[in-house]
Amino acid sequence: MAKSLEIKSFNAFYGKKQALNSISLTIPKHTIFSLIGPSGCGKTTLLRSINRLNDLKESFKAEGEIHLESISIYELKRQRDVEQLRKRIGMVFQEANLLPASILHNLLLPLKEHYRMSAKEEMAHAEEALKAAALWDEVKDRLNQSALELSGGQQQRLCIARALILKPEVLLLDEPCSALDPISTDQIEQLLVTLKTRCTIVIVTHNMEQAARISDNTAMFYLGDLVEVAPTRTLFVTPTTDICANYIMGKF
Amino acid sequence: MSNLTNTVALKVGHSIEEPISANKKNRNWFEPLVQLYSYAAMGAIMAVCLLILAVLWHYGHSAISWKFLSTEPATSASHLLESGILTPLIGTLLLTFIGMTVAFPFALATAVYLCFFVKNKQFGNLLQTSVDILAGIPTIVIALFSRAIFTHPAFGFLSTTIENADALAPKAFGKSFLVAGITMAIMILPFMIKAMLSALRDVPKTYFHASIALGTTPFHTIRHVMLLAGMPGLITGAVLGMGRIMGDTAIVWLALGGTLRMTGVQPWYGPANWLSTLQNTGSTLTSYIYFTSPAGEGNQYTVAFGASLVLMVIILSLNGLLAIVGRKRTFKES
Repeated sequence: MAKSLEIKSFNAFYGKKQALNSISLTIPKHTIFSLIGPSGCGKTTLLRSINRLNDLKESFKAEGEIHLESISIYELKRQRDVEQLRKRIGMVFQEANLLPASILHNLLLPLKEHYRMSAKEEMAHAEEALKAAALWDEVKDRLNQSALELSGGQQQRLCIARALILKPEVLLLDEPCSALDPISTDQIEQLLVTLKTRCTIVIVTHNMEQAARISDNTAMFYLGDLVEVAPTRTLFVTPTTDICANYIMGKF
Repeated sequence: MSNLTNTVALKVGHSIEEPISANKKNRNWFEPLVQLYSYAAMGAIMAVCLLILAVLWHYGHSAISWKFLSTEPATSASHLLESGILTPLIGTLLLTFIGMTVAFPFALATAVYLCFFVKNKQFGNLLQTSVDILAGIPTIVIALFSRAIFTHPAFGFLSTTIENADALAPKAFGKSFLVAGITMAIMILPFMIKAMLSALRDVPKTYFHASIALGTTPFHTIRHVMLLAGMPGLITGAVLGMGRIMGDTAIVWLALGGTLRMTGVQPWYGPANWLSTLQNTGSTLTSYIYFTSPAGEGNQYTVAFGASLVLMVIILSLNGLLAIVGRKRTFKES
C-alpha cells in the first residue's frame, strides 16, 4: 500500500525532557491510524509534530525525519512553507474551537486566508465540505446563525468540515470525541470511516473501543516509546508485549 | 492505599462524635448573622446608589430643558441661570473621542504584544509593572506632567503659541482639546491595556492553535480569530476608558482650561474652524459642574445638578450598552 506519512527515528524534546524516543512508523494512504496509550505517553506530541504545531512551544526540539509523501517536514525552513504544509494537513482538536460568529464565517475562515474566490465559489466549497462532514442537511438553512448554537457533536463536525474545506491529504484528530455523548461519537466515527476515501486519518484516542472500531492500524505508546504497532485487529487480539496487553485489558 | 482510606475514615468518624455538636451551636446564631450582614451591606450599597441618583434628579431635573442642552453657557458666571451646557456637553464628547482615538490603537497594540509576541519573560514583566505604575499615578499628577511637556514651544501646534512672550524663551499655551485629549489618553492607557490584555488572555489558546493548524499566519490568526473571540472584552476595555475620560476633572482643569465657552475662532462649530476649536480651550461637563458648584464661582446648585444628571445619563447609557455587548456573544457577518 502506498505510504502517506513516514516517520523515521523521530525524537522530540521539551527543554531537556525527552517526550518521544526514536519513533519509526509508516502510515499508509487512505487508512485510519490510531495512536493509543496512557496520558503523557507522547501520542499527542507525535500528532502535533506531524503538522509542526509544536513549533509554537519555544522549548520544543525535534530530531529525525517525518515525510509527507516526498516532503521532509522538518527540513522546511521558511515559515511560508510550513504554512503551506499545514494546508495539506488538517487538524481537529479535543474542544470544538469555533468563533462566536456564524457557521459560514467559521467554515470559510481558512478559505479566505489562502484563496481569493467569488462568493459563489466559496459557497460551492462550503457546501462540499459540509456534505463531506455529514452536516449539510442539518445546517443548510441556518448558515448565517451563530456556530455556538450548534450541539457539541455538530460543532465538532463543523470543525472537521473547516479542516476539510482545504482538501487536506492528511487529517489529524486529537481526541475528537472525548467531550461528546455516545450518539454524537457514533456519528463522528461513521463519518471518519467514510472520510478514508478522501484522506489519511491519524487519530489520538483514549477510548480503546473507538480505536478498535474504526482504525485499520494502531500504535501503542508508553512513556515516549513506541511499544507496538500492528493492524488493529492483530494488536487487540494478539498483543505481543505485556505493556500493550495490560493496557488493552485496562490494567493501568 | 488502604492505609490512606483508613485514616480518612478515622478522621470523619472522629469528627462526628465531638466537635460537630459545638459547631452546630455556633452555626445557630452565626450563620443568620452573616446572612443578615451581607443583606444589609447589599441594601446599603443599593441605597447609596439610589440616593445619589434621587438627589441628582431632585435638584437637577428642573434645570433640564431643550434650551439648557442647546445653548452655550453665558460668558459671565453670574448669568449662568439663563444659559445652557451646549459647549460643555460637546466638550465632553470631543475630549472622549480624541482620547479614545489616541489611546485605543496604542492599548490594543500593547495588549496584543504582551499577550502573543513578548519573548523575553522579564521584559514582559517589566512592561506590565510599568503599566501598573502608570495606573497608580493620580490624574492631577498626569495633568501637571502635561503642563510641563505641552508648554514646550515644539508642541505649539497642539495648542496656541503665546505671542509677544519672551522672544528668547517662547512658550506654547499648552491648554487645548488636543493637549487634554492626549493627556487623557495617557491617563486611560494602563486601564485599557489591562482590560484588553485580560480579554485576550481569556480566549482559549486552542483557538490560536486551531487557526495556526489551518495554515494561517500568526498575524492573520490574531487579527481574524483572537481579536474576534476577545471582542466583548476589548469593547469593555474601550468603554472603561471612555467612562474615565468623561468623569475626570483634574486633567480638564489643567490641560483644557477653565473657560466655559469654546475659545477658538467663532463660530466654533463652523466647518472651517475645526482646527482652531481643537487647538483652543473649552470646558467639559465635569469642569462646568465644578464651575457652577459652590466650590467654583457660580454657586448655581440647580444647573450644577442638571449637568450632573446629563453626565450620569451618558455614563449609565454607556454602561447599559456595555451590558448588551457583553451578553451578546454572536457577531454579524461583515
